[in-house]
Parts: sequence; structure tokens; C-alpha cells
Amino acid sequence: MSAVKETKKTITITIDGKEIQAEYGKSILQIARENGIYIPTMCYLTKVEPIASCRMCVVEVEGVDGFVLSCQEKAVDGAKITTNSQALFRERQNIMKLYDVNHPLECGVCDKSGECDLQNKTLEFEVDEQDFTAKEMHRPVQNWGFISYDPSLCILCEKCVRVCNEIVGSEQLQISVGGYKSTIVNTKPDNDCVSCGECMAVCPVGALVSSDFKYSSNAWELEKIPSACAMCSAGCQLYYEVKHTSIDNPEPKIYRVTNEFEFSNLCGAGRFGFDFENKTAFKDSRKLEEAIKAFKKADTIAFSSYISNEEALLLSKIAKKVGAKLVCSDSYGLSRFLKAYSSVSGKMLWDGTLEDIATSDVIISFGGKIAQDAPMVKNHIAMASKRNKARVIYMHPIEDYTIQNLVTRFIKYEAGSEEGVLAMLLEFLTRDKELDSKIKAFIDELDIGYLSAESSVSEEEIESLKLDFWKRKRFSLIIGSDIFNHERVENIAKIIALIEKYTNFKLIVIPPASNSLGVSLICDLEKEKEGFVVGVNAPGDFTLSSLGDGDFDLPAFNQIEGTITTINKQVVPLNVALPYDGYILNDIAKELGVGSDLTIDLTKELPKEKGFESIEFDELSPNAFSVHGEDLRGYKLRNVTVEVNFELEEVADLESFDGTIVYCVNPSQNPNPFTNKSHLLQSKATLIGSKQFATAAKINDGDRVEFEMDGKKVTRVFRIDTSLKGTIALNPIFDMGLSAFWVSSYRFKKVNINKVGSGDE
Amino acid sequence: MSEKKRVGVQNYRFIELEPTPTTAWGKFKRVLKRSVKLELFVGLKVTFREMFKALFMGEMHTVKYPLEKLPISPRYRAIHEMKRLLESGHYRCIGCGLCEKICISDCIRMDTRYDENQRKEVVEYTINFGRCIFCGYCAEVCPELAITHGGRYETASEQRASFSLFEDMLTPIDKLKEQKEYPGFGAISPNADENIKKTPLAY
Ligand code: SF4
Ligand code: SF4
Ligand code: SF4
Ligand code: SF4
Ligand code: SF4
Repeated sequence: MSAVKETKKTITITIDGKEIQAEYGKSILQIARENGIYIPTMCYLTKVEPIASCRMCVVEVEGVDGFVLSCQEKAVDGAKITTNSQALFRERQNIMKLYDVNHPLECGVCDKSGECDLQNKTLEFEVDEQDFTAKEMHRPVQNWGFISYDPSLCILCEKCVRVCNEIVGSEQLQISVGGYKSTIVNTKPDNDCVSCGECMAVCPVGALVSSDFKYSSNAWELEKIPSACAMCSAGCQLYYEVKHTSIDNPEPKIYRVTNEFEFSNLCGAGRFGFDFENKTAFKDSRKLEEAIKAFKKADTIAFSSYISNEEALLLSKIAKKVGAKLVCSDSYGLSRFLKAYSSVSGKMLWDGTLEDIATSDVIISFGGKIAQDAPMVKNHIAMASKRNKARVIYMHPIEDYTIQNLVTRFIKYEAGSEEGVLAMLLEFLTRDKELDSKIKAFIDELDIGYLSAESSVSEEEIESLKLDFWKRKRFSLIIGSDIFNHERVENIAKIIALIEKYTNFKLIVIPPASNSLGVSLICDLEKEKEGFVVGVNAPGDFTLSSLGDGDFDLPAFNQIEGTITTINKQVVPLNVALPYDGYILNDIAKELGVGSDLTIDLTKELPKEKGFESIEFDELSPNAFSVHGEDLRGYKLRNVTVEVNFELEEVADLESFDGTIVYCVNPSQNPNPFTNKSHLLQSKATLIGSKQFATAAKINDGDRVEFEMDGKKVTRVFRIDTSLKGTIALNPIFDMGLSAFWVSSYRFKKVNINKVGSGDE
Repeated sequence: MSEKKRVGVQNYRFIELEPTPTTAWGKFKRVLKRSVKLELFVGLKVTFREMFKALFMGEMHTVKYPLEKLPISPRYRAIHEMKRLLESGHYRCIGCGLCEKICISDCIRMDTRYDENQRKEVVEYTINFGRCIFCGYCAEVCPELAITHGGRYETASEQRASFSLFEDMLTPIDKLKEQKEYPGFGAISPNADENIKKTPLAY
């Protein structure tokens, strides 16, 4: 194991007569759980700091008067601990009696019945009558977006408040203390929270439930299918919960999505956008013929990152066979980035993980609208902010008011000036470092004054980072996806690699779309498409689509077996939740002579030289976590060593971005056309800008506007958002179907906005 | 063993039977003797008496099935009934799904939803009587005394699987007054009141 672990002091304690060796610094409860010793809890949630509101976890420690809270108390060497005695049982029984006072007897209809902690512990501690009482009062059910809160079922364990603050960073929920009147309050009911449903997931009772799922099925009727969310590169663990649609319709349907909430999280897209399956498909041999013909004459196979590793490998094989180019617009930037990055760093991938972000005390987030692009990264920033009071430096052209509470310093730079800003950062961070002469020359040549003026990041702003770094130890640098389609991505990648190499910053790069990392590693991508284009989840002359709107149907992510590669450089498996009746890519590959028996036979064939392992699909766990919540799903990519060989180019003159600019970004709950197919998340895309933008573009709130983006005309209703500033408007692309995957240029676009009408007509 | 069985300790007595005639003449004499005693008419008299009673005094001993049916024990387990609340007339079933879960032939299915009054509504409920084995578990597990067995025992149908829907089993609203509690498997015990402990109330 790692060097850090070895230096940790080991202690020996006795729990229930069993001698146990453990690491110093852990709580009694953690040690007990590691060793399979049961201590009942009601409010303990592994992924947050101990809440200590329920007192169920009490234990006896020899030589200590009274009971000790095992979730908070660190074990000391030689401690003798009893987890169960008559006195402890009575104590816990009394706690359960209090929880049960006036608790509605509605298990019969409650969604939580069958998996309810209150139900279980009431039985375990043999509470079968109510000895005390309190005056009952009217507590109406409240609806918060997708979530419904029933205060009379709430046991005030505080788990929801904690996850919303400590994990999600939304600070939406609070406990209003008032004895028996206490309830959970939504502090900002008008301001939509991010609707992640984390609060609902951790609620141990039926107080917080999904209003969509409510009363539609009992927990025990649903079959849990372990899989991963592939709606962004985080690849979060989830369960699709499936049952027949209705009495008349035996077809399976996904009723809800749940997860291993003790250890991991989901955002709203994963939790509520689950019904994006391709329903229309059936086996049409004529279509198969057509598809084969199309592939045979293809000059280019264009695809998006919304495919599995195995499908990506299949496409490579097909491309080789038919002699076509592979073009993937949403991964091409990342593959260029990786090549340039490796040439400097000497390794294929970055070292940092989401967990590293959560344990940092200084975080720089650069070049991405994190809260929308990568909700899990934002969650880990929130954890760092709440647990370690981390300094969060957010560098982007657009200030994000939704994470104001997490960001300690916002540094605004001009759109397009990423290269210059990173060069300034490199200069600042490596001042007292021994540098290679080549790099030294590069830095010496930088005209900081010019860069500062062009990017409008003042030298003082960069200098003031010193204050943020003072006495801090763990640093993370998060790179967002703005840079991948920047013309200068190669040089940018090299500068980033240098920062990683010469400083103690851990680097985390956010892959721009679901399986971009997998695609970049598996396929040799080219930039321009030419000739006859076959599109796979991307527009083409012949289109294969999981959205169901192409010439040939493909299964969606909840209908396939396969793996994806996540931001944590982990290969995680997806399982089939819903049947798919049509032909799949492998059927075409088989006809072309490059297919395999099953698509998942390719899992063990993924390229070893890129760090993949030769492991059978069936051996990959979709839901393994260690007792402390370490993610053990699938496997981690090996970080392959590569040759160092690079030339740095001078920072290019900055192209100025003035006038009206739109920035392509989707809301976190609706990140792509798949989630926009789901019945809960489906929404209308509007262009959102500040008053200043409206003035500059000469448009008003509610106007219907038109502009050109990558050669395509886009029409949108425009809305003013008063919390925004500046002349950059936010343009969602989730409603553009497959062409959303074809937005291949830099995310900031200079556009001419023309008013073409008003309202939705 | 045999001593302990006490066989033959009672006072058995042999009946005196006439020896069975062996010759043809002997047999003829016995027939003659029995006929002349008119034993036949004793039997006929009983028959005519019962016929008279049945035809003219309404004391029929057989039923004209299927025009008539015998009353069946209230505890008999035949086709299910869904009961209503006596006061409001609303169906009793709360859609808890316990019957669906416990059913060992897996023949109960139900669809529920969140209704406009924020309650759980039973949208549809079926029992597949091709599979039901009339074990009565559903009636026993039901916390609301909502599902019970009824007396409709004729389950022959044109198809192996015949379904009953919620409406078919539900007490018709105009027959609410005639709805009877089921005394069988799963009913509350007659002394239930004595066993109830009151929850303290603060008002
Ligand atoms: S929260 Fe638990 S105990 Fe309360 S009604 Fe629901 S299932 Fe029953
Ligand atoms: S709503 Fe649920 S999670 Fe929140 S305090 Fe109440 S019981 Fe706990
Ligand atoms: S849905 Fe997420 S953001 Fe909203 S209150 Fe719950 S935990 Fe907080
Ligand atoms: S969209 Fe991304 S962050 Fe959200 S649940 Fe899915 S994988 Fe996780
Ligand atoms: S057990 Fe009774 S209340 Fe529950 S669903 Fe069945 S019939 Fe309805």
C-alpha cells in the first residue's frame, strides 16, 4: 500500500471481546464496521461527517462513565468496548420509542415500507406500543420540484440537511428547531435547487420521496439493476429499478433510479432522467442491409462520445476494415489534449481523482462552467469547501452565482485568453522552482504585461493567490472542457502538464462528454470529415441513432451491456435495464467480418497499451464499495508511461472576443439530448443573458432570436437573467438532437443575434 | 400388544340367522315367504309419503342446481370479495400490496398511483383465477379487512386463465347495507376489543 498508510499508527482495541488492530484516527464505529461488528445507527451516513443526532450508536467503554457515541469517538489504544448489553438495549429502545411517538401508521401506503430504517429498528428494538404522547398538529405535505416532503414522517435525523450542505453545496435545507415542532425547511423555495434528489436518497424514512414515483410501486416489487450513469463523464453508480409497466402491459419499465447513497452520489440528470431508452426499434433486416451498405461505402465514420468502450472498439475495427476515417467531434479535442499533455508529462493521463478534490484545501477550477458541466466535480469541491474550508479559485469568463457560496475567489478572464492566463499561472507557480532551460526560456519570453492586459486578469489578482496558498497543503487543479476545442489546445495542454510537473497541484481533467476519455484512448481520431459520412449518434449521410430518429436504431445506454471510462480513469460496467429488440452495432460488424459473438467479448480486448486491462466483462463489479465508501467498481486504468518529447510554442496573439458572445452550456439537470427525452427533465431551451447582453444585442426579454452557430441556424427565445453580468449569453444545446453532438468549435462563439419575433410561436 | 388392545371385552352377541337354503325348493319357499309378508309395500309407503311431502308440503330434500344452490359456510374460501367502508362507501383497500406479495401462486397484480387528494389510489387490481389456489393468505394478510373470500365457488370458465378485476369483486355500492364481515381466515378475533390497548393521546 501507499507510503502514507504505513506511517499511520496502529492501535489494538477490544470490541465485544474480540481483539482488533486498527489505524489510529478512526472512530469506534468505523473500526467496528471494518470488522463486521454491528452497531445500530439511525443518523449515521458514511459519506458525511458524523451527524450525531440519533444517539443510537452508543457503546460502553471500560473505565468511562456513561455511554460513548461510537460514531464520533476516536478509538484509543487498549480500549475495551462493549457494543451490546441490557443497558444499551434499553437506551436504544427508548430512543426508538421517542422516534415512534405519533409517527403515522401509514407503512401500508408509504413508499419507504420494506426498506425503512424506522420500520426495521422499531421491530429490532421491540417497540410495540406507544407509552408517551405529544399533541399532534397539522403538517401539510410540501412539494419541492421533483421532491415531496411529508413532515409528519420526518424523524429529523438531519441526513438531508447534511448532504445538501456538505456534499451538494446547495445549502437549500435547514432544520428549524422547535422541540416537537421541528421540521426541515427549504430556505429558498422559490429558487430552484439543483434538483439532485440527494436529500431524498439519504432520507431513512418516507419523508422525502420522489413525487413522480410516489405510490406507484412498493420497494420490494422492483428489480434493482446495477449500472452506471453515462450522462456525463463522472459515470456515477446507480440502480435502475424495474418492474412491468402495468397490469395490461408486461413490458419492463424503469420506475426510479436509486444508488448506493451511503457512499456515492448522483446528480439530477442521473436520478431523474432515466427513461431515454430507444423504444422504436425492431429487427428490420432491410435496414440492416442498408446499414451494411452504408458502412461499406463510408469515407468517414462520424460518432459522438455517447457510446461504450466496446462500441468504440467496434467502430475502430469497422473503420479499418472499410478504410474510413474516424471523426468524433466531442472527443477530438480531448485526444489532442492528451497527446500534447503526455509529451510533456511522460504519462498518458492525469493523476488526480474526484476524491483528491474532496481532500484538497486549495482548488483552482479553470476553463469550465463546473456546476453545469460536471455536477460531481462541483460536489467534490463542495466537500472540500465544507470539510477543509478549502480556498476555491474559480477562473472563467462567466461568474457562476449558483456556486457563490463555495467560491472564495473569482478570477474573470476574457473568452479566448485561456492560453495566456495559464501561462501567467505557470510563471507565478514556478517562480522559485528549478526549471529545465527550455521551459525557463519559454517563461522568460512571456510578456506578462501584455497577457494581463489582453486577458484582463491583473497581475495583482495572480499575486493575491499567495494569500490563498498560505499554509495550505493539498492543491488541486481542475481543467474544464472549454479548452478542448480551443485552437491552441496543444500548447495549453503542455502548459498544464508543466504546472502539474513543477508544482504540487493534483491535476483533474474533465472529459467533455460521457465516454470521451474511453473514445480518445481507443480510437485514432481525425478532425475533418469527408466524402460519404456514416453517423453513429452523430449526424451523417446515413445515421445510426440511439435517440430513435436516425436511419437505423441503436440501443441507448440503459439498454446495453458494456463499459465506459470515467473522469476517475475507471472502467465501469453498464447493464441492461430495458430490452432492446433491434439490431445492434455488433450485428453490422459481424456482417462486415469484424464482429464478435457478443459486444462484451470485446471488454477484454480493449487496448492494453492505453492502460486497459484484459478482464472479462462479467468479472467487473457494477456496485462494489469498500466499507468506508471507496469506489471499487470495475477497474482503474493503468497510467502508461510515454516518452517525453515536446516543443513549447510561444503564446499566440489573442484573438479578441467582443460584441455579443454565446457560450454553449446545458443546465446540470439536462446535460444532453438523452436526458431531454426523459419525461421529467424534458424542457424548452432558452438563450439566457444579462441586461447588458440584451442591450448589446438590441433584444428584449421574451424575444425570439436567431443566430448562426457552426454554420447552423439556431432559433431561441431569449430570457434575461438578472444574476448574470457581461455580454456572454448562455446557450443550451440539449434540444438539438444528434446535431448537439456536432458542436465542434470553441465553446464561446461570436454571433450576430437577430430578432425574428417574440414568444414561443 | 394384543392383550392391551381389549378387543372382545365387550359383550358381543351373535344374531340367530336362519341357515341359507341350499336346494332350489328351499330358495323358492324363502321368496314366497318374504313376498307374502308384503315387506315391499312397507318400502313403497315410505317412498310415497316422502313424495307427497315433497310435492305438496314443500319439504323437498334435493336442490335444483344450477337453479338453486345450497347455502355455503361463511368461512368457505371461494372467489374473493373486495369490501367497502360501511360509513363512507369508499373501498377499503389502501393499495399496500401485501396480498400481492404474500400470494404464493403470484396471481395478484395491482396498479397504484398518487392521486389528486395526495392519497394512494388503486387504479386497477386483478386476480388470475386460473392460478389462484384459494389458500386465503391474501385475506389473512390484509390489514384493512379489504380482501376476503366470498361464496362464489363456480370458477369454471372458457379459458384456463380467467381474471377478475377490482370492480367485479367490489361490493356494489347499492348492496353496501348487505355487506357482511368475513368470519374466516384473517378476520379479527371475537374478543379483539379486550386485546386493544389505547394509545395515550395529548388531546
Ligand atoms: S416512514 Fe417507515 S415507519 Fe413511517 S410510515 Fe413509512 S415505512 Fe412506515
Ligand atoms: S427529511 Fe428524512 S433525511 Fe431529512 S431529517 Fe427528515 S427523516 Fe431525516
Ligand atoms: S435536491 Fe439536492 S440541492 Fe435540492 S434540497 Fe435536495 S439535496 Fe439539496
Ligand atoms: S449526469 Fe454525470 S454527475 Fe450526474 S449522475 Fe450522471 S454521471 Fe453522475
Ligand atoms: S392487502 Fe388488503 S389493503 Fe393491502 S393491497 Fe391487498 S387488499 Fe388492498
